[in-house]
Amino acid sequence: MSAAIAAEPAAAPLLEVRGLQKRYGAVVALRDVNFTVRRGEVTALLGDNGAGKSTTIKAIAGVAPIDEGEILLEGRPVSIRHPSEATALGIQTVYQDLALCDNLGICANLYLGRELVSTPTALGPHVLRDVDMELEARRVLKTLRINLPALDTPVASLSGGQRQAVAIARAVLWDSKLVIMDEPTAALGVAQTAEVLRLVRDLAEQGYGVILITHNMQNVFQVADNIAVLRLGATVMEARKSDVTPEQVVGAITGTLAIPGTGAAGAMA
Amino acid sequence: MSSVQHPEQKSEQKSPFRRWLTGVAQSTDLGMLPVIAALIVIWIVFETLNANFLTPRNLSNLAAQIVVTGTLALAEIYIILLGMIDLSIGWNSVLAASVFSLATVFFHLPVGVGIVLGIALATGLGFLQGMVVSRIGVPSFVVTLGGGMIAEGLTLAILTPHGGSVPLADNFTTAIGTLNLDPLWSWVLSLLLFGAYAAVTLNGIRKRTASGHEGGFAATMRLVGVAIMLFGAVFMLNAYRGVPFLLMIFLIALFASAFVTKSTRFGRHLYAVGGNAEAARRAGISVKGIQLAVFIIAGFLVGLAGYLDAARLGVASASVGNGDIMLNAVAAAVIGGTSLFGGRGSVYGALFGALVIASVSNGMNLLGAASSVRFIVEGLILLAAITIDTILRLRRMRSGRA
Repeated sequence: MSAAIAAEPAAAPLLEVRGLQKRYGAVVALRDVNFTVRRGEVTALLGDNGAGKSTTIKAIAGVAPIDEGEILLEGRPVSIRHPSEATALGIQTVYQDLALCDNLGICANLYLGRELVSTPTALGPHVLRDVDMELEARRVLKTLRINLPALDTPVASLSGGQRQAVAIARAVLWDSKLVIMDEPTAALGVAQTAEVLRLVRDLAEQGYGVILITHNMQNVFQVADNIAVLRLGATVMEARKSDVTPEQVVGAITGTLAIPGTGAAGAMA
Repeated sequence: MSSVQHPEQKSEQKSPFRRWLTGVAQSTDLGMLPVIAALIVIWIVFETLNANFLTPRNLSNLAAQIVVTGTLALAEIYIILLGMIDLSIGWNSVLAASVFSLATVFFHLPVGVGIVLGIALATGLGFLQGMVVSRIGVPSFVVTLGGGMIAEGLTLAILTPHGGSVPLADNFTTAIGTLNLDPLWSWVLSLLLFGAYAAVTLNGIRKRTASGHEGGFAATMRLVGVAIMLFGAVFMLNAYRGVPFLLMIFLIALFASAFVTKSTRFGRHLYAVGGNAEAARRAGISVKGIQLAVFIIAGFLVGLAGYLDAARLGVASASVGNGDIMLNAVAAAVIGGTSLFGGRGSVYGALFGALVIASVSNGMNLLGAASSVRFIVEGLILLAAITIDTILRLRRMRSGRA
């Protein structure tokens, strides 16, 4: 297991998943997924199409709960059966399609589903505190060094990088500890990719744990601290970035290379 | 991000007015401006053709004529904002009126009980249709098509034994349908209303400015626009007999809806579900709950519209449902800028859309035009409105990729 890789820090890691299993009918999506995410670090989750990356993050985000296995948050076993439970635990996911409402403004998207309201009577109405939300959103965007147009601008009129930034800002706006990002740079140009990677790195520096799913090996070696590779629904490599070469990681993804010294591949046995 | 400069940043030095104008010119969501512009053109045309058009008397008639279409359009806008459609609103409203007439005229129940029964029935129908749409997932088009046919059948079952229509004679309903709020009270109420609106708007501007942000020139402009329209309308209506009770009831429903859709969490979630249901679901919003709630609200408004229609005509009549009240309501919603794709539009579209429809109808009548011409003109306006909506949508998609 992962304990073999490096000496564990004294405190429990932010997130540890052990032996995740998930099946959809007769299809086994996850057989044995294990990895660890630490505070202030970017953990890259890699794997070929169908390796189980998406299923894994859906499990952690509560969208598709696991059948078997353990999820430990700060050393405590947790059960995540619904997205709201993940949110309550401080886990936020930025999906590949960003899940933004194009018709709503930036601020409305940032606070979607957790609007600040004042409730004059016990029964309601829940009146939006638009100005407070806007001011708070500006503050958060500033700490993340994100520049956006006026916050009532509909998201539809933003560029791909800006939309990504809105989605990421939304993930951290609400007391989250762990941010999961699914292919955040897939559809972006060079400059915007650099900006998003900068943002990913910034999040880690500010103490968040980040899970980064990507196909881009260059991105991984630019921003990740920790690398976990899935293959056919099981973890086949978990390593510090400094301990592996891109060739080894590619080998683990494609299954053409034996994994030296990580011990993770043996977990399948 | 850093690579993109927004117009607002570039135009930091310009006057607020110039910036607002630039914003409007570049915006893909112009709000009520296009329909207000269209309305002004229509009024100028009819006034030119017939000087009786913009008289206090005719405008008072117009004010009463928009009420039923406007209330039904309001119900329809709630549904369309979800990205759905409700084809049952016409017959459901007539059914509510029939139940009211049955209760008060034949069972001699108090008027209040009759009103509650009629509106409760329409609300219940909204609930049932909403359940089928949200829980089972049947397309709203089909559910409400069927629901409307059932309501038509029930209406005929109630009214046919009585010759197809039941005259209403109770004093309260007659008063609602024909009387006006006297001019003094009209001024007092409209001033109070505007004062409340201005206080909320100015408070928002003050809060933003106090924390060193943009003051909100657009909000100030809107305030001025609302003042002109509100006091202009009160002035014209007072020059005849005052503000019709019918109009007041519609406006209360309209302002309440504006508050619910724009200023509450529920309203925000309603727009979110209409814009991207999957994103709303992932944000923890109960999509089914919002859909059901919207159908219930729309059902309530449909029942209200049925009562108002019966009050205006003084009769609960099956022939009303045969007319084009449902299609007029959908047309008013679309002309009022509500996008049939969902998530875009404003409840105020019900007011201005209904004004466009009623103005054309009223103006054509003044000119003595045949209803054939009226339908063609209304059809052309509807086509123009939906074409503009589609073009703006394409523009939005293009700018989204830019």
